[in-house]
Amino acid sequence: MDVTLRVFRYNTEAGRTKPSFDSWTLTDVDPTDRVLDLLEFVKGYHDGTLSFRRSCAHGVCGSDAMRINGRNYLACKVLVRDLNSTTITVEPIMGLKVVKDLIVDMEPFFESYRSVLPYMINDDVPADGKERHQSIEQRERFDDTTKCILCAACTSSCPSFWGDGKYVGPATIVNAHRFIFDSRDQAPGERLQILNEQEGVWRCRTAFNCTEACPREIHITQAIAEVKHAITSGNVD
Amino acid sequence: MTTATTSARANVKPTPTYETIAWKWMRYSGVLLIPLVWIHVLIQDVLVGVHAIDLNYVVERWANIGWQIYDILLLAFTFAHGMNGLRQVAFDFFQTDKARRNLSWILFIGWLVISFIGAAAILGAAAKHLA
Repeated sequence: MDVTLRVFRYNTEAGRTKPSFDSWTLTDVDPTDRVLDLLEFVKGYHDGTLSFRRSCAHGVCGSDAMRINGRNYLACKVLVRDLNSTTITVEPIMGLKVVKDLIVDMEPFFESYRSVLPYMINDDVPADGKERHQSIEQRERFDDTTKCILCAACTSSCPSFWGDGKYVGPATIVNAHRFIFDSRDQAPGERLQILNEQEGVWRCRTAFNCTEACPREIHITQAIAEVKHAITSGNVD
Repeated sequence: MTTATTSARANVKPTPTYETIAWKWMRYSGVLLIPLVWIHVLIQDVLVGVHAIDLNYVVERWANIGWQIYDILLLAFTFAHGMNGLRQVAFDFFQTDKARRNLSWILFIGWLVISFIGAAAILGAAAKHLA
């Protein structure tokens, strides 16, 4: 099949100081090709200056989140046939400053992520001196939010984040959830305190864009609701 | 298997902030609006009908203390719910603490004034009828 690939371009190093789109008509595209394959083909055979992030190319590293036909996907996970269109428009994710072509400045995203102490806090010596045991139920309580790969597809699809870049965003709340509900962690109160601030969970309007965008199918809106409930009830079980 | 929960996880409720209270208010007022609005719609639009509502009907209705309280609550809760929603949306455009604080006060005063005028109209109409 033939596919028209439209890609957002902004590259001051290549003299492209104004945002614009480039188009390529690609022939013999297999419906099971991924959008990342098309981008790699264009970069390899048509325009070597085309810039985008990619690493593992298997939906694990979270490098290649992009806005494809108006929706956030990982370019390495979405197949051409899944888009139901012979014209594919690829843009950078929204809400973060564009550095070059499809590459955005992720630092505000990671700064927000770091603000909720996304690591295990427990200075006590385990009961047996070796391990902190957990029941299956206790592990399952936060299982869903362990799947996050920090691709920013959720945060950059959130209308609250587009409007207010200081909002911590869904990915940060998901990663706080992962530790808040971990029975081994001893600092859920600190994280809830941080998320109770004005730019915390209360900026969420329950739009569900994040849940729809998540390539790992994490129930993000539910996780945010659970954090809201934990703040109002003090219950983190 | 040991699955004890440590005391650091027992009481972790943060001190409520203004945002916590505003969020809870949205939920509580939303739940209260369901009976208030639906009873209002059922009576005014279905049982009585909009064409049967005239000045006499309004005067008779507001002669009853129960309906006075009901309509004042309906106005106050609906308007407060809407104003709080507007505040949330407007925060996207007012991003400094000072601007947000001022905006919140303006909306609150707006809510207070309109609710007061509405309540005065309801109670005043009843007082006039009794006189």
